[in-house]
Amino acid sequence: MCGIVGILIKDPDLEAELGALLVPMLEALAERGPDSTGLAIYRQEGQPVEIVKDVGSAPDVCRRYDIASRTGYQGIGHTRMATESAVTARHCHPFSPAPELCVVHNGSFSNHATVRRRLEADGVVFDTDNDSEVAARFIGFRLAAGDDLEEAMRWVQKEFDGFFTLLVTTATQFAVVRDPFACKPATVAETDRYVAVASEYRALAGLPGVDGAAVFEPAPGELYTWSR
Amino acid sequence: MESLTAVHPVTLDCEALSVREINRVLRALPDGSEVRLVAPRGRHNLAVGIEHPLSITIDGNAGYFIGGLGGSRTGGPSITVDGFVGWSVGENLMGGTIRIRGSASQSAGASACGGTIVVEGDASLRAGISLKGGTVAVAGDAGAMSGFMAQAGTILIGGNAGAGLGDSLYEAVIYVAGRIDSLGADARVEELTEDDVDAVKSLVAQTGFDHIAPGDVTRVGSARQLYHFRSEHHGAY
Repeated sequence: MCGIVGILIKDPDLEAELGALLVPMLEALAERGPDSTGLAIYRQEGQPVEIVKDVGSAPDVCRRYDIASRTGYQGIGHTRMATESAVTARHCHPFSPAPELCVVHNGSFSNHATVRRRLEADGVVFDTDNDSEVAARFIGFRLAAGDDLEEAMRWVQKEFDGFFTLLVTTATQFAVVRDPFACKPATVAETDRYVAVASEYRALAGLPGVDGAAVFEPAPGELYTWSR
Repeated sequence: MESLTAVHPVTLDCEALSVREINRVLRALPDGSEVRLVAPRGRHNLAVGIEHPLSITIDGNAGYFIGGLGGSRTGGPSITVDGFVGWSVGENLMGGTIRIRGSASQSAGASACGGTIVVEGDASLRAGISLKGGTVAVAGDAGAMSGFMAQAGTILIGGNAGAGLGDSLYEAVIYVAGRIDSLGADARVEELTEDDVDAVKSLVAQTGFDHIAPGDVTRVGSARQLYHFRSEHHGAY
């Protein structure tokens, strides 16, 4: 399983509520990933991204780090049900292979070891043996090589085999992509105040004005990006 | 739980009760009761496993497995969702009707043995996967791999069908009013008989999908080439 959430705020008045919006989103997906919880908070452009990740359920971790008080223009989060590597804070999502780049993943990659060996041969250094970190490092590697985010994500679709919904953020962009078989869920809700993504609609159901939002599921294999 | 006296209509608040409590109350209500579930807010498993005839309205968007395992060979509840639903609406349905006023996510009507799942919007991937005798009717489009391995029953698609329609189909029949992106392995377009037109006519009457012209649909069935081991393929094993 695992749950992913993200929100890009368009209306500056909502920025003061970023943490308060993210907490119920994550808590709604606590069942999808009870092992550990992580978030990335984009407070202000030019300021470092704050990453909080720890072992524990979403309500526990959000309380422990007082996530509800956070402000900012963009945030992503992850609730983890570990399937292929250890349950430690280091193994939690988001993975941030470069300043301002954060990745959360629901799914599993079957060829991550192959991609990891190639990246290691190119000098990329890993923190963990987590398969999602390989995707994050791969995107970081492509961006460092000069790709824009859309190009980097197309490379992910070309190189990686497996099940995935990936949510990727930079200081100015917010992207979501699902594998061609749509094995893992995703729902988007967009209003003129925000665009939000979650594994399941119930994580979006409490957002302000969601009843008037455009709600849709990203089509399989299609890349969706939003820019600030 | 003791049996409840029918009060029409019964309103249950999904914010105040757990899903388990709601389903327990539904099970205890007498035949013919009318129930409204308010504030579903994407909750999963609402009205699952309800075998007797109730009229249930879910007042908003709901989550996964809505109405699953419901009904029996002799009938079942009539469930209406005033919104959209998540994955696997009516999974393993045995009888009764589930009507979705909005769209349905993946695997609508998966493995349904009986009953009817009516989707007034679109259905996502794998609608009617492994259907075992139920009916899945979609007014709009159905996503890729719909009807995958469907064994028995009927799928009606009022719009377009995505890629790989009816892959590895057994004896279920699929009718498509719009375009078919591609057929899956062992699925083929078959001649539309008068019986087919009658079957679609009665489905149109039942669902209210009157944008569908029963004489103009495409019938997709199994070519039955994957059914049996063939001696000339011996070398492949």
